[in-house]
Amino acid sequence: MTATARSTAAPSVPSWPLIQQILRRSMTSLRRIPAAIIPVIVMPIFFTVAFSGTFRGLTELPGYPTDNIYNWMVPYACLQTASFAALASAFSLGRDLEGGFYDRLLLAPAARWTVPAASVLWAMIRALLPLTITMTIGIIGGMTFPGGIEAVWWLAVGAFAVAALGSLWGLGVMYRLQRQSAGGLVQIGLFVVMFLSVGTVPLDLQEGWLPHVARLNPLTYILDMARCGFVGTCEWADIWPGLLAIAVGGLLLGWWAERGWRRLVP
Amino acid sequence: MTAAAVDPTVAASSGHTFTQGVALSRRAIIRFARQPSSWIPATVFPLLLVAVNSSAMAGVAAIPGVIPPGTTFLMFLLPAAIIQGVMFGGISGGSELATDIQGGFFDRLVASPVSRPAILVGRLGGAMAFGLVQAIFFQVVLYPFGADVRGGIPGRLVLLIVAVLLSLGLGSIAAGLAARTGQPEAVQGFFPLIFILLFLSSAFFPTQLMSGWYQRLAELNPITWMVDGMRVQVLEEFSPSAAAVSIGVCLAICAIGMLYATRQLNRRLAVAS
Repeated sequence: MTATARSTAAPSVPSWPLIQQILRRSMTSLRRIPAAIIPVIVMPIFFTVAFSGTFRGLTELPGYPTDNIYNWMVPYACLQTASFAALASAFSLGRDLEGGFYDRLLLAPAARWTVPAASVLWAMIRALLPLTITMTIGIIGGMTFPGGIEAVWWLAVGAFAVAALGSLWGLGVMYRLQRQSAGGLVQIGLFVVMFLSVGTVPLDLQEGWLPHVARLNPLTYILDMARCGFVGTCEWADIWPGLLAIAVGGLLLGWWAERGWRRLVP
Repeated sequence: MTAAAVDPTVAASSGHTFTQGVALSRRAIIRFARQPSSWIPATVFPLLLVAVNSSAMAGVAAIPGVIPPGTTFLMFLLPAAIIQGVMFGGISGGSELATDIQGGFFDRLVASPVSRPAILVGRLGGAMAFGLVQAIFFQVVLYPFGADVRGGIPGRLVLLIVAVLLSLGLGSIAAGLAARTGQPEAVQGFFPLIFILLFLSSAFFPTQLMSGWYQRLAELNPITWMVDGMRVQVLEEFSPSAAAVSIGVCLAICAIGMLYATRQLNRRLAVAS
């Protein structure tokens, strides 16, 4: 599939209305397709309950950073499900590319960058749902906030960042392969990055090869930042590596998405 | 799409159910093997989870009473890897049947003088073969890393039997869903449910380290009984009673699955004719 050629002349309408319409369409799809809304609600509940319930015994390990498993697992479940928001965004992009709707979108009389920007923005907005749901389940389960309101702030920053970065990864894959089935590849990438981090146990307690890989994984630092207010008070030393990982990840994945975009729209 | 009807009694009377079942199984296996997108996740994800969890949770082995002395958390996770792989494979088998329905191959099959049971047997034969290959593959791949089976050859055989029977059970439930809906997406939607059941069991973590209602739920989950029976073969010794529990749970899943699949297939065949 190729994008229909359009004049590269300056866009005749502002970009924001197009972004708004794309977001509105995405919102409508989410409401109208039960298969799409169920994972958005069910998966955060499942991940929070399953991670906290199954791995509760980890807090018995000497040196585990908290004795409340919810404080450790809720940020992980939140970031995990925020990555699903990115995955969903990639799947709907694949559907639009396959069905030809994307070509029509590119004909809109607005700057073309608004189309991928809307995908990223939608993933971030959608990440609000898992953020709210995981926090609610966590509070019901007995999660505490040793870091105060800052805990929620840095968790939200982490969740939105994961949704945005995951979305850029998904855009890059989808623009290259241009079919919905490529969503599997997006999913594998997201899962691998999630698993090879400090999701269940901190670096100090990991053994073998995993801590070496986790130390190189940017998500480890984003997760540390998102967790900082749940395992203590947030210190700048916990935060800046996460912000740096987001910035570098944004640049690299932005470049990855942009190169894919150039293949689709030369 | 509807199929040109063929009298099922004619098809059955041809007396070639077994041969046709084998031929259709062979087709299912070849098709599956030719689609890496079907078997790569079923192989890579369980290995990845085992590799990550055995490294991340190695410290759990040091908690007294969790696993027998001299064993590792990798050995603890071996049954989970096999079950996960089988789970993926069984669902992929069902999804393939849905693809056949969607693509019209099923209708062509119904229009041909093929025995009706062979349609189901063919699909499930493919899933069972994949389950067997996976159970062998995971044991071979994880062995050099220390995932030995203390139950020896009988213990390993139990793992293989459970894998094959579970493939049959999950494959038949997935095939039933495929026959009912005719949509691969609907069959794939079954996956999270199975994954939740797996998480709510002792597959990834010992139930004695869980607490409260979650622990009680995990202990009541038949998947826990099945996994624990397999785990005895891996961590302790060959135990016929533990093997019987595992195999019993699988047989129950098979009975439910086969009943469901047969009913749904008959329903679809009735509509087709």
